[in-house]
Amino acid sequence: MSRERNPLLSLYAILVYAFLFAPIVVLIIFSFNDSRRTFVWKGFTTEWYARLVTNDDLLGALAVTLQVAAVAVVVATVLGTLLGLGLARLRFRGRGSTETLLLLPMVTPEIVMGLSLLLFFVALFDTRGSFAQLSIAHITFCVSFVAVTVRSRAVDLDAQLEEAARDLGASAWGAFRHVTLPLIAPGIVAGALLALSLSIDDYVVTAFNAGIGNTTLPLYIYSAIKFGVSPEINAISTIIVAITAVAILAAWRVGSRRDETTPETTPEIA
Amino acid sequence: MTHRTAGTPIDPEEALRRYMVEHRISRRALLEQISKVGAAAALAPIIAACGGGGASPSASAAGPSAAPGSPGASTAASTPVPSPESELIVYNWLDYIGPDVIPSFEDKYGVKVQYELFDDIEVAYAKLGEDGNGYDVSFPISVDVPRFREAGTIIELDQSLLPNLVNLGPEWADPGYDPGNAYSVPYVWWTTGIGYDTTKLAEVPTSSKVLWDPRYAGHISMMDDYQETFGLALIQLGYSANTTDTAQLDEALALLREAKPLLRTYSNDTVGTMVGGDVWVGMIWGSDLYQIQQENPNIAYFIPEEGGVRGSDTAAIYSGTKHPIAAHLFLNHLLDAEVSASNTNTIGYMGPNEAAKELIDPVILEDPSVNPTKAILDNLEELLDLPNAVDEEYLSRWQALKAG
Amino acid sequence: MAAPGDAARLDDRTSPGGSRGALVVVPAVAWLAIFFLLPLAFILVVSLGSRDELGRIVLDQLSLENYEQAFNPDYLPTLVNSLRYAALTTIASLLIGYPIAYWISMYGGRRKGILLLLVLLPFWTSYLIRTYAWMIILRDNGIVNAGLQAVGLTSEPIILLNTDLAVVLGMTYGFLPFTILPIFISIDRIDRDLVAAGRDLYASGRAAFLHVTLPLSMPGVIAATILTFIPAMGDFVTPDLLGGAQQTTIAKIIQERFLDGRDWPFGSALGFILIAITMVGAFIALRRVRREVVGG
Repeated sequence: MSRERNPLLSLYAILVYAFLFAPIVVLIIFSFNDSRRTFVWKGFTTEWYARLVTNDDLLGALAVTLQVAAVAVVVATVLGTLLGLGLARLRFRGRGSTETLLLLPMVTPEIVMGLSLLLFFVALFDTRGSFAQLSIAHITFCVSFVAVTVRSRAVDLDAQLEEAARDLGASAWGAFRHVTLPLIAPGIVAGALLALSLSIDDYVVTAFNAGIGNTTLPLYIYSAIKFGVSPEINAISTIIVAITAVAILAAWRVGSRRDETTPETTPEIA
Repeated sequence: MTHRTAGTPIDPEEALRRYMVEHRISRRALLEQISKVGAAAALAPIIAACGGGGASPSASAAGPSAAPGSPGASTAASTPVPSPESELIVYNWLDYIGPDVIPSFEDKYGVKVQYELFDDIEVAYAKLGEDGNGYDVSFPISVDVPRFREAGTIIELDQSLLPNLVNLGPEWADPGYDPGNAYSVPYVWWTTGIGYDTTKLAEVPTSSKVLWDPRYAGHISMMDDYQETFGLALIQLGYSANTTDTAQLDEALALLREAKPLLRTYSNDTVGTMVGGDVWVGMIWGSDLYQIQQENPNIAYFIPEEGGVRGSDTAAIYSGTKHPIAAHLFLNHLLDAEVSASNTNTIGYMGPNEAAKELIDPVILEDPSVNPTKAILDNLEELLDLPNAVDEEYLSRWQALKAG
Repeated sequence: MAAPGDAARLDDRTSPGGSRGALVVVPAVAWLAIFFLLPLAFILVVSLGSRDELGRIVLDQLSLENYEQAFNPDYLPTLVNSLRYAALTTIASLLIGYPIAYWISMYGGRRKGILLLLVLLPFWTSYLIRTYAWMIILRDNGIVNAGLQAVGLTSEPIILLNTDLAVVLGMTYGFLPFTILPIFISIDRIDRDLVAAGRDLYASGRAAFLHVTLPLSMPGVIAATILTFIPAMGDFVTPDLLGGAQQTTIAKIIQERFLDGRDWPFGSALGFILIAITMVGAFIALRRVRREVVGG
């Protein structure tokens, strides 16, 4: 494909990235602010990072957030992929209603979803919030996002490819695994990333379904921020950004050292 | 229904750390804190719906056992103190107690206190549910006490275990929300007034009409709390903040509608809005001033000449308590003069304790934002718990105001 | 040469009512039925109930009273606000997000994945902290105003925070990854040879874009629209923090009813109405997008 640079577009890209990172830069700067209320710059300090290390509540909350996200992303991605794929390629009775069902969780206000799950669990299981309940809640609001993303990728997938594989002797599962799956993989990955973003930052549904010991980072932050302990939160956010950035950089280094002949387009089958 | 931020102690971080270190309050326990609605938010309604009715008050304070007083007699009584249970679970606002209060209680009675925190009262209520949900003691706002009393959520107190009640100032002996302090004891009280930036306002304001001053358009804020904000408007019109007269409410609505185009925001983040600089004059709770002034010393506070609203927090024992005796002793402890003074000196809110006044930091005593003169105090109204139908009159107008 | 058996397999998968294939959607549907629809049914019942003096839900006499009350013209402006913000946010996100998705896909080369992850990176920090950061940027003595005054464009701070602008800005910012990701994977899927052929055929890159790339990226655009508009209708935190007295949304009204008003039945009724309206809004938005890009 043509590699000529488009200076206008490149400039635009820089602006967009600047826009995306503007609040992050502010966040990082204020993690060094010598003031409990991060509203006014008072001076430089690394005090918050030091406190962060001993702040078991905050670190515990981070741990819970990651655990819930792990469960939610894995299950939601599996369920959502199947759903998205099915809707994209198959025609079956009840497809219309399935499409509606797909959209419903996204359309439901978070407070309604959170409360309804709470009522459900209290009424049926008499539980008042637990890790399982929280995970179930997260999975439930993530599935649709994954499904929509996968579907959009699978929708123009040429069904003949899989047929051809089967004609050549592959089993249904084999055709799926070796042909379809790699082709929709970007959609799956994108869906999983969306689910991750949704899960780690959820507040409302989490507030209603977390039990004792399930404080997630958003729950912690929402409560603590009123009392000015946010600099530590800025600090932990900065660390998250830093770690992820380093990971991305590492992935780039590794990727560029490997074979560069990965085709960027799908293989065409004549 | 106020969403107030608590006042600031001298160093809340230190205070918290000290509790945990000195009393081995498990990190897990402290982690079970803030902002967990998960629990019985629905337990109450579901129980009601299934015909379970309100929880009946469980073992109200048992009669004093025969055991002699445990180490250290109570400060006021000479009757033998019944031996308390070995532990107590307390649920309080973040940063809302003097640093030595819990330690001194634990030492005196040999009771281990598990102290947990919240920051949002509605969330806390939801978590406490119908009977406390495992918590023995918590701090409902006075306005909500009648509701909890009726639902059987809090128990009737055994005043023989509360000799320190004598320490209360006379105005607290029989509060409107809880006659005779039968179900709760007052903890701290506050006023709602107006904070303003002395460098931005042309003259020193004395009336709540300053919130309608077009010179400050775009820099005015009111509280995101319909009882408080309607209260302000009603009082300015000369009515009661708890009126049930819908014609008066309509007048208040019209008045608030005039203010709306001038407003920057409706917010309960009283500290944030005043410190941020976008708001030059806004409704705030008096005791937030301390925290605000730490960041912006130019902010001052006044209670409108038309009058204002006062409120209080109470301490109460929940019906599901497993440690009723320890709970009573704790409440009594809070009423102790030294303890009450410690609370006040730490969090900057006045307590109801007359005897404590000699021990309170004079700076606080003389601070009119925290401790207004009796003349001003008498002019203040206490917000009451409104019955559903009346509450609906307020809320529907409030939402019409916000929408339109 | 396909054997007769193969034709049967073909029909099997693509014919309506193909049972084997449909099984694929069953796990997700079952999950949603149990953990979403059923709880929603609970709330539906609650919305037909009322509350007693102590704030507990009463289900003795079910009625549509809450719904009647909900169709209160007073709420209309907040509904309009929500629709307005959601629509503006979606449009802004699409306008901003499409070019960047295009750029990453077409010019990103080996670094595509990383560039994409960089887009997502800001969103793994706390939503609340990011919003507070915007408050710091936009407030009267914030960064933007300081900059404008330093450069001499203004002498007084402009009110940026607590306005419609701040709300749309904040919401667009928050939903960008939901927009960029689906569009990217759609564009990335496009056969580059097709684009090249288009360039040859139309003798202009621009025409090739309009006639080849854009239509082929439609599924992604549609997905992006859904993933942005729908949650935006229910977003109340951003308008609450970045908006002012004039920026109340229907989501905020609902929240108030549930928490401050402790009126779950009425709040639930309002919630259902919001669901219905969002569905309709999404449907209309989708048709718009389809029509304008693909021409019908």
